[in-house]
Amino acid sequence: MIITYQWITAALGILIAGIILFLVRRDHLHGPYAAWWLLVAIITIVLGIWPQLIDKLGYSFGVGYPPVLLLVLAQGMMLIKILTMDIERSRQERKLRRLAQHMAILESLIEEQNKAKQNSGNEV
Amino acid sequence: MSRTLAPIIVIPAFNEESSIVTVISAIRERYNYPVLVVNDMSQDQTAKVAEDSGARVLNLRSQLGAWGATQAGVIYALKQGFKSVLTLDADGQHEPEYIRDLLERLEDGYDIVIGAYIERCSTARHIARYYFKLLTGLQIEDMTSGFRAYNYKAMQVIASKQATLLDYQDIGVLLMCRRSGLTIEEVQTPMNLRLSGHSRVFYSWWVVLRYMVETTILCLSQIGSKRKFQFRSTL
Repeated sequence: MIITYQWITAALGILIAGIILFLVRRDHLHGPYAAWWLLVAIITIVLGIWPQLIDKLGYSFGVGYPPVLLLVLAQGMMLIKILTMDIERSRQERKLRRLAQHMAILESLIEEQNKAKQNSGNEV
Repeated sequence: MSRTLAPIIVIPAFNEESSIVTVISAIRERYNYPVLVVNDMSQDQTAKVAEDSGARVLNLRSQLGAWGATQAGVIYALKQGFKSVLTLDADGQHEPEYIRDLLERLEDGYDIVIGAYIERCSTARHIARYYFKLLTGLQIEDMTSGFRAYNYKAMQVIASKQATLLDYQDIGVLLMCRRSGLTIEEVQTPMNLRLSGHSRVFYSWWVVLRYMVETTILCLSQIGSKRKFQFRSTL
């Protein structure tokens, strides 16, 4: 049997999907991120099995050389993904900073209380 | 004076063991206000010497920079029921004698009072100052001064979570305050030479460049914005 381009891309999609499910199973990947990567895996599988889909799509959009459409779409999706990653990182940074601030405040209040307790203990 | 203001003095500090005692002592000699040192993960004895000098100390477990540390102090002040905050640098640049002047102006009804010092500085700094004045439209001579007094209204704005992502306490904070309709006043205060350390902003060209780019983006993004800010005790 000749291994075709179709089989390779389909296998690649299945491999990506497998890795993602494995990562979720091992708690290395949080739900919403897994959903995105599973979508990527499904698209890879579908386009791997039916590569002519991209040709049809390309021609219907008037793209002379359809594989370019695939590259442009992939790049667009990557840009969106990277942007949302930075938005998420900013949100986390803010949370981390506020947690550090609140923790320092709580720690100081606990220390104050402990000192007050010790002092009242000494007086008794 | 300032009974209604019930102020707390907040000093953000990073490796300032050589100067912090002098600063705290100078404050305590003149005023009865509580002093809070926010220790931004110093590697020296800053926290210990500050506590021994009679200051309250907040120890941050993750380094947040001068603004993050100051904000922690403001949140602490709000939670502890203080009605105003006065911030100054730990390196001894600001003369505690003028704390009174700042608080008096706050009592006059201004929301933020800046202890300004227009030093004789390099042409590059003059250009930077003029550039930001032009870009922000803020009629403030010394935007970078860490010697400031905030009333309760201003404290709520600068403790908001939107202010947490600011990296410097200067222009971003002032823009946020202006947008919230707060009034800003400047008081001329002479400044001492630093007892220790150096400016955390102006010490390498790379840092200056980063500061200029980030602050420019911040200023541009604020044009026409009318969002209001309010402190909430949630994260």
